[in-house]
Amino acid sequence: MLKPVASNNPFADPLRFDRRVPECAIVIFGANGDLTKRKLLPALYRLAYERRLPDSFAIVGNSRTAMTDDAFREKMHESVKQFLEDSPFDEDLWSSFSRNIYYVAGDLNDAKLYADLKTKLDELNRPNVLYYLSTQPSYYGPVVEAIGAAGMGRSTEKGWHRVVIEKPFGHDLDSARALNARVHSVFPEEAVFRIDHYLGKETVQNIVAFRFGNGIFEPLWNRRYVNHVQITAAESIGVEGRGAYYQEAGALRDMIQNHLLQVMATVAMEPPAAFEPDSMRDERAKLLRSVKIMKPEEVGFHSVAGQYRGFREEQGVDPNSQTNTFAAATFFVDNWRWAGVPFYIRSGKKLPKRTTDIAIQFNSAPHTLFMSEDGRPPRPNLLILRIQPEEGISLRFLSKYPGAGMRLRPVSMDFNYGSSFGERSPSAYETLLMDVMVGDATLYTRQDMVEASWKAVTPILESWTERTFDFPNYDPGTWGPAESDAMLARNGHKWRNG
Amino acid sequence: MPATLVDPEKILKDLRKLWLDLGRENEVAGGVLRACGMTLVVATDNAADMDELRHLLGVLMHNHPARAIVLKLDGKAGLNATVFSQCWMPFGKHQQICAEGVEISAGFSELTHVAQLLLPLIVSDLPAVLWCRGPRIFSDRAFDPLLPLVQKIIVDSATVPDPYAAVAAVRDLRQQGRLVADLSWTKLTGLRELIASLFDEGTASNISSVRIFYGGDAPTVSALYLSDWMRRALPDAEVTLEQRGEGTRSIRSIVLVGDCEAILTRPDKATMEVHCGGRTRRSSMVLVSEETLMSEELSILGPDPVFDRILA
Repeated sequence: MLKPVASNNPFADPLRFDRRVPECAIVIFGANGDLTKRKLLPALYRLAYERRLPDSFAIVGNSRTAMTDDAFREKMHESVKQFLEDSPFDEDLWSSFSRNIYYVAGDLNDAKLYADLKTKLDELNRPNVLYYLSTQPSYYGPVVEAIGAAGMGRSTEKGWHRVVIEKPFGHDLDSARALNARVHSVFPEEAVFRIDHYLGKETVQNIVAFRFGNGIFEPLWNRRYVNHVQITAAESIGVEGRGAYYQEAGALRDMIQNHLLQVMATVAMEPPAAFEPDSMRDERAKLLRSVKIMKPEEVGFHSVAGQYRGFREEQGVDPNSQTNTFAAATFFVDNWRWAGVPFYIRSGKKLPKRTTDIAIQFNSAPHTLFMSEDGRPPRPNLLILRIQPEEGISLRFLSKYPGAGMRLRPVSMDFNYGSSFGERSPSAYETLLMDVMVGDATLYTRQDMVEASWKAVTPILESWTERTFDFPNYDPGTWGPAESDAMLARNGHKWRNG
Repeated sequence: MPATLVDPEKILKDLRKLWLDLGRENEVAGGVLRACGMTLVVATDNAADMDELRHLLGVLMHNHPARAIVLKLDGKAGLNATVFSQCWMPFGKHQQICAEGVEISAGFSELTHVAQLLLPLIVSDLPAVLWCRGPRIFSDRAFDPLLPLVQKIIVDSATVPDPYAAVAAVRDLRQQGRLVADLSWTKLTGLRELIASLFDEGTASNISSVRIFYGGDAPTVSALYLSDWMRRALPDAEVTLEQRGEGTRSIRSIVLVGDCEAILTRPDKATMEVHCGGRTRRSSMVLVSEETLMSEELSILGPDPVFDRILA
């Protein structure tokens, strides 16, 4: 759990008391969608299971489909049962939890919806209200403005009004800025929580603990010792029915611009002065602003787009689609710590396995005393931060093979979350929903971070938009197009396809 | 069996064999995941509750995997040791997680030998915790040789007849520089959290006096801790402990006098009611199990500033 919010309560006991969610209602726009069913409701149910929500906690779902409160409850009941991860389902708990679930049908473009929501919120009379935009991105601006027009956006003396916005936050730098302006016309920045669920993952948070809680790694965490960094987010599945959405986004927008650049910022940022929301976010933002912006002529050298064979046959996908289902890029960070160290980032669909990890490859020993068994210099030390599926940390180093002579073999020293902390970590959505309700923005992205990460990918996006790729260019079950390997090979590096 | 015949090297060898056997038995599933985050030494003088204790340890291991060393102090002379494992399949996973344990039978007079035996059995470089089940630690110095081996000592004063003596004993342990926890304090977490929430909500503002009413012939240790906690939190308020009613010792009600008079009562075992300004609020306050209390304590392995202030 994160550091508890500071309290002037003389009875406070941050070591023992859970952070408490104040009396509030959450309004979910797009409540009939996948995100609500698969992630939001299971996470809220799990928080209730752990008794971290007040008894009066209310959920108001919205979508266009006409439905009664009971029908919506039944639908959510099935979803939570189906999608609750690593946790049993308790019917008795559900029956008390679901009593405070309500549903208001209506079209997001219709002012009547907001009048109906206002009536419902007045009726519920919860002092604090959280709006969760789980809609198509094109609705973010209109919904926020409609909330403002209905007089539901501003925090009052009674309590706060906050908004959570799902990615993608804009589809390029200009649209992100325009959306920010629209959102800020209703909600001040401190009430805007842009969610990036990668930052809510325990293992991503653990990067901060690993770097700044230990004395032995941070001295090595710089260009003198680190040769390069590889960040991989691979999926074995394809677009799975999301073809229409995905072909507008692509891997670069869907994964690299947001999740993976945020992960990179967490890996590479300077130590914050304190573990507080603004200090943490300042350092992440500074790092993202330090990412070297590619010149147009460098894009072909430092980035690779791919599309798997079969994507164009997916439902809802243009048969001539130029969408990238694989993207890889080399980023450099223009600061003293990282100058000249390549950060290779790749993400793709239909790759050989589902894995997300960060591999930090250290420089080789300055003078080679020993050779590997194949007669080549031994492989350098590698630190792997595994985000999913087997959360943990591994350090690869060399060890003498038992017996006569001095034969060296790489061995791995592993830390596995399960073996040290038991069986369950909270899901990213549990952590992030809890955070927004207690007002902790540490793991949410700020406007300047969003804009800085758009700036970092803009040259690639612009170049790729102008090009016509010879897609498809990789087979399902492979690690992407050959150009991706070539991009690293030019620097004498090689992807870890572990 | 004389103490010298229980060889820690032999126990460690048995543990290694245990893991090899577990690995072989679960070869198809990719072996088992060995889990260990600390050493938990549990001392019990009640042989009758061994089954319950084993079950409790099995549950505790899920969130606090440890090398468990159970000291069965049954009064009979002679040391004996066996090794065991606790395995569980996490929900939705396919590989078992296992924690290891050692069960040692000994007489109280042999605790000095046991301390020598424990030293090599404590997992290096990880925290070690001693949990003394039962009230004997409050009256018997025999446990003293064990105390320097661990970073934290967990006791339960609930069954100690003299609550004032129990608090004094816990205070004494703390003043010796040891990290100590008392499950009688841990039991108060839910109630204390409720009181803190009253402050957050403004129900308990400008408190000038606090009256804690207890039933039975004397306050419980929990009631003593609660009143001390109130005094530390509200140095300007008058805090009193008053007897109300016969029967078993327990906290019956609490009255916080401030901008409004908030009365906390417990109409049944699972509920707490707060009456204030003509309004009544009900909160569920289920009785917490020993495993929940222990789990809370095992998640705090460093100093506990709030409890430390009470023991100061």
